[in-house]
Amino acid sequence: MILNKNYILTSKIIGLIFALCLIFFSAENSYSIIIFILVMLSIGIPHGSVDHIIAFINPKTRIFKNKLSFFTIYLLLIFINILIWILSPYLGLFTFLVISCYHFGETQVIGFNDTKNKFLNFVVGANILLSLFLNNIFELQIILSEFTLFSLVDLSQFDKTFFLLVSIAILMISIVQFKIKKKVPLYAEMSVLYLIFYHTDILTSFSLYFGFSHSLPMLIMEYKEMKEKNFFSFYLKTLPFTILAIVFAIILYYFNNDLLTADNLILFTFIVISSLTLPHVFIMKDFVENK
Amino acid sequence: MNTLNFILGASLQPGDFTGFTFFIGSVSMLAATVFFLVQHGQVDKKFKDSMLVAALITGIAAVHYYYMRDQWAEGLGSPTELRYVDWILTVPLMVVEFALLTGVGMSKLFWLSVVMLVTGYFGESGVTGVLDAQIWGAISGAAYFVMAYEVGCLRVFSDTAPSGAVGDALANAKGKIPAAGKMLQWFVLVGWAIYPLGYMMGTDGWYSGAVAALPLDMDIVYNIGDAINKIGFGMAVWTAARD
Repeated sequence: MILNKNYILTSKIIGLIFALCLIFFSAENSYSIIIFILVMLSIGIPHGSVDHIIAFINPKTRIFKNKLSFFTIYLLLIFINILIWILSPYLGLFTFLVISCYHFGETQVIGFNDTKNKFLNFVVGANILLSLFLNNIFELQIILSEFTLFSLVDLSQFDKTFFLLVSIAILMISIVQFKIKKKVPLYAEMSVLYLIFYHTDILTSFSLYFGFSHSLPMLIMEYKEMKEKNFFSFYLKTLPFTILAIVFAIILYYFNNDLLTADNLILFTFIVISSLTLPHVFIMKDFVENK
Repeated sequence: MNTLNFILGASLQPGDFTGFTFFIGSVSMLAATVFFLVQHGQVDKKFKDSMLVAALITGIAAVHYYYMRDQWAEGLGSPTELRYVDWILTVPLMVVEFALLTGVGMSKLFWLSVVMLVTGYFGESGVTGVLDAQIWGAISGAAYFVMAYEVGCLRVFSDTAPSGAVGDALANAKGKIPAAGKMLQWFVLVGWAIYPLGYMMGTDGWYSGAVAALPLDMDIVYNIGDAINKIGFGMAVWTAARD
């Protein structure tokens, strides 16, 4: 059932049920790290672990001559991203946000519109990230304590509802400007995402969005494109690079305190994610074209 | 009831009528959500989005009424913040129903609902520190009246009454849409008018003396208003969608 033609909707409904369970049982605060780790290891990282295969699937959009050039450019982008974070954390954060906005938006509009309108993709992704951050802004100030321009802003006079209102208002104002085939369902789905962002902490919000609204639909889409015998054999193919990604994170963590961020595990995790995301975005841009 | 206590944080006291309306609100919204989702599979393709939106409206409300019931039962007072969270998410979706039925006016209705919600929240929360609740309420109310005009609420009195583009589109639509449109117009005109009343009860202004004399509790007014508007709104759409 999960792999029928409505697989995108199915995976999102799984996420919604999961989210509602967390909200009703008020479990998110105590289990957010476990949820984050489980989602990232089982869905988040695996959805990017077959980039080396899907980069060569569509001959029309293929931009790499061979595997060597693919891995060289892929690793180079990861290296450049880490270098940016080391040299200028502000630039690293900015790069991550811009790239993520486009990438999240691009996959979010699938099923509601084609992905050709790059500006729409960016705006939709920006809305999602903005809502994720605004609805958890007090937590975000703690996580980004090293970014004093943001973390020292006094927001104590505002409550969470204010930020939800701002994010919804921005969503409404921005989304009506675009010609979208299924504008209302897209808006409705994003409203539900905002509900989850408001009621769960930042790590759980990100896990639920990233896992079930972004990664799982992409993972299933990749499985269908690769035409594997069954999902299990496809999933096995994601394992080598998932393990490599974890090893990469451990190595990076070894140098963490000297180079990146001292004792801020969540920020460090986002740096790792941003490093893995940068090359992945370019691969997915071609992969989702016309989907 | 004890078996449910692992979900429900606190129990309602006997005779707590306000708390009871929160409880009825949450279960009725949940029931309506299930109903709309079941009906989603039964209706014509062109109404599927409308039914899904109707289900989302009641679904989101069910979640928040669950929270509100809990907050009330724990003696933490009126759950204004949660109520606004619910409205912020559901009111634009209710507005969207008009656009789904008619295919016009989404941009204008969205803008108006942004103004109505933002200024209403500013007035009730006092977060801005500028202007008072009366002025913010007046701006919010003005946006509501423009919206009511836009969707053709005056047409409930006379078919020749002036109306905005959405009201015209509803009147000229085929099938059961005009009849459903008329029901929705009644909801906007009468059902939504409950909210300004609740706003006046919750804020200070020239109206304070008048609303204080009313034998009503703000939360009961809001709860009844929400049940009528959210479930009724969906039922009106479902009426047009069935067959």
